[in-house]
Amino acid sequence: MGFIGKGLFEGMVVTARNFVGSYFDKERLVTVQYPEERVQTPENSRTFPFLVYDDDKDPVATMRCVACKICETECPPQCIYIVMDRDEKGKPRQRPKVFDIDTSVCMQCQICVEVCPFEAIKMDNDYEKSQYGRFDELVEHLPDLLKSNEYYSKIKPTEASAVDAKLKAEKEKKAKKAAPAAAAKPAAAVAPKAVAPAPTPATAAASAPAAKLVIPDDAPFSPEQRQWLSGFLSAVSVGAAPATGAAPSTPAQAVTPPTTSAAAPAAEPAPTAAAPAGNWPWHDPGLGMQQRLDLAKSALLADKLMAAMAQTDCHACGYDCRGYADAIAGGAESDLSLCLPGEAETANMLKKLMEEAGKA
Amino acid sequence: MIQPLTEEKRFTLTQRPEGLIETQTLEVSIGPQHPSTHGVFRMDCVLDGETVVALKPVMGYLHRNHEQLAERMAWLGSMPYTDRLDYFNSMTNNWAYALAVEKLAGIKVPEHAEYVRVIMAELTRILNHSCVIGFMLQDLGAWGTPLLYAFREREKILDLFEAVSGSRMMCNYMRFGGVRVDMTEKDLAVARDIISRFPRFLDEFEKLLTTNEVLLARTQRVGILPKELAINASISGPMARASGVEYDIRKVDRYGVYGRIDFRVPVGDIGDVYDRYYIRVLEMRESIKILQQALRDIPAGPHVAPEVKLRNFKIPPGDGYGRVEAPKGELGFYLVSDEGGKQPYRYHVRPPSFINLTTLEDMCLGHKVADVVIILGSIDIVLGEVDR
Repeated sequence: MGFIGKGLFEGMVVTARNFVGSYFDKERLVTVQYPEERVQTPENSRTFPFLVYDDDKDPVATMRCVACKICETECPPQCIYIVMDRDEKGKPRQRPKVFDIDTSVCMQCQICVEVCPFEAIKMDNDYEKSQYGRFDELVEHLPDLLKSNEYYSKIKPTEASAVDAKLKAEKEKKAKKAAPAAAAKPAAAVAPKAVAPAPTPATAAASAPAAKLVIPDDAPFSPEQRQWLSGFLSAVSVGAAPATGAAPSTPAQAVTPPTTSAAAPAAEPAPTAAAPAGNWPWHDPGLGMQQRLDLAKSALLADKLMAAMAQTDCHACGYDCRGYADAIAGGAESDLSLCLPGEAETANMLKKLMEEAGKA
Repeated sequence: MIQPLTEEKRFTLTQRPEGLIETQTLEVSIGPQHPSTHGVFRMDCVLDGETVVALKPVMGYLHRNHEQLAERMAWLGSMPYTDRLDYFNSMTNNWAYALAVEKLAGIKVPEHAEYVRVIMAELTRILNHSCVIGFMLQDLGAWGTPLLYAFREREKILDLFEAVSGSRMMCNYMRFGGVRVDMTEKDLAVARDIISRFPRFLDEFEKLLTTNEVLLARTQRVGILPKELAINASISGPMARASGVEYDIRKVDRYGVYGRIDFRVPVGDIGDVYDRYYIRVLEMRESIKILQQALRDIPAGPHVAPEVKLRNFKIPPGDGYGRVEAPKGELGFYLVSDEGGKQPYRYHVRPPSFINLTTLEDMCLGHKVADVVIILGSIDIVLGEVDR
């Protein structure tokens, strides 16, 4: 053990080594003289959320946020407050009029970023946010929150480039999807092997019942993809079939029974068969509720239900607008209050429609 | 007739001999705003001279309604709140909650994610233990030196946490079925670097403390927690192991991939403050071993189970208890899911700090008031977890 005080002496040697070492050794000199020196924050570092817009010329018009209120609902400390922007006639403008984040309540948990389906809200890494007041000074309003995509790419290059690539791919996919519907090509009877979503113009089949589209069992698709594809293909075939007369005519309005199960062409298992994909005139968030309902007046229950929704395809309910309507009409979903962007208006209308249909 | 007060009698507090002069006991309230109580915690001490004759811990100053909040929130929403339980060790808190939910929902975690979790949890253990020793020494009067050495090392680990999870302390890193973002090769290299340097720091730290005569005099035979009491009071973690209870959830449950990692559980014999100090040093050395193995064996793969939905996450009715060996002891989450399953019907936390704190009086009786502070420091409490 040695002499009494050996441990103390050794301890003093350690402190002396650290003291002297702090003048020479970078390992032992760790203090950063803050306002003069700054630590480079890592890319993942996060402080408070901000909203991304794409074009500097008009930040408000090009912001990605559609005011779907998913983040408002999911925010654990409830620090986000959103009001949908509406024009003078009350039509929603697909963007927030008010978007407040109370930074004194926000706990920087990033859940708003994770749940946003539009890549609209992202985490900043600006940590110098002191204010001279405790109340309104700490609430960030829409103008403070809007930041450009360039800024986002600057602070988080890796993440931003992945997001940009994803958004670009989505856009292209959408454009591709929209093309066949707009062109309304005489496409039907797609050969069983041609399951790709790209439209394959084929000759119109004379025998429509035989034109039931089957995706081969060994095709490499997940159940959701399979369902979507079969719905899409059937919609294409149904939409293109009117000339043949064998299949139900275009947007299914002609079919009389008001329930989906009866109205959907029996051969089509996918619920999307109620109306051709992309042929929903009411699927436009710019329209008012009444206009949308008028457009879907003579359509099926599922179409009417869909028309009552906010048409943002925000997935706040867990589906897109079509899927939610089908789920309600088919009885798979009983909660009518899931449409967040549609607010109480949608919930009430859904209830009313279900009551009218005698299903409530 | 007045009898002379012998040295032994002065310390036998419970029975005062008949006819002895009555001295007045003094009630002293230490805290709630006292630096030695590690937060807003109060100890109502009854002192006879300087000796403690009774002590009552008073808790609840930092109560934040954590459990009730969780019961009105979606499953994921509670995850960032678990960071704020034991705010030193958010990674293990996250893991315990994620483990409970995974058990309840039957989610299988990919292997890569399990390894990342082990890495994060063991880094957390290292930073907690080194800082706890620093805090304890601070209570003992070693102003700053050991604490700041520990903080210097902790900073390197926190930098890694920030680079991976985005935040230094409120990491919010685990998700049901994995972790939120993957560790890149660069992060793993940083972790390896930290691990390779840490033993050097630990040797230096031990040289400073382990044989220091002042530390020995102040901590040995102080605040003894007998093995029986440790078991009866369901003490867990380093405190139980210092008293000779060989109990480590990593060995008992073998959750995650701990089953295939080779490490030992250090066990003390006396259960005094010095044992609790030294157990932590040994545990850090074992943690380094675990980290070396985990960083060597980490397989490639997804960092989160792909089938887990982030939103509209529902759990079928049932109940489950998930527990991990947090740096402070057994941290468990008891969850009940009912009809609907959108949020927990019941959410209960079994916090190690709180339960370890219940034996404070037993350890303090008969010691001087200055020792109370060290004994409290050696329990290793964080008030965010005690009060919730």
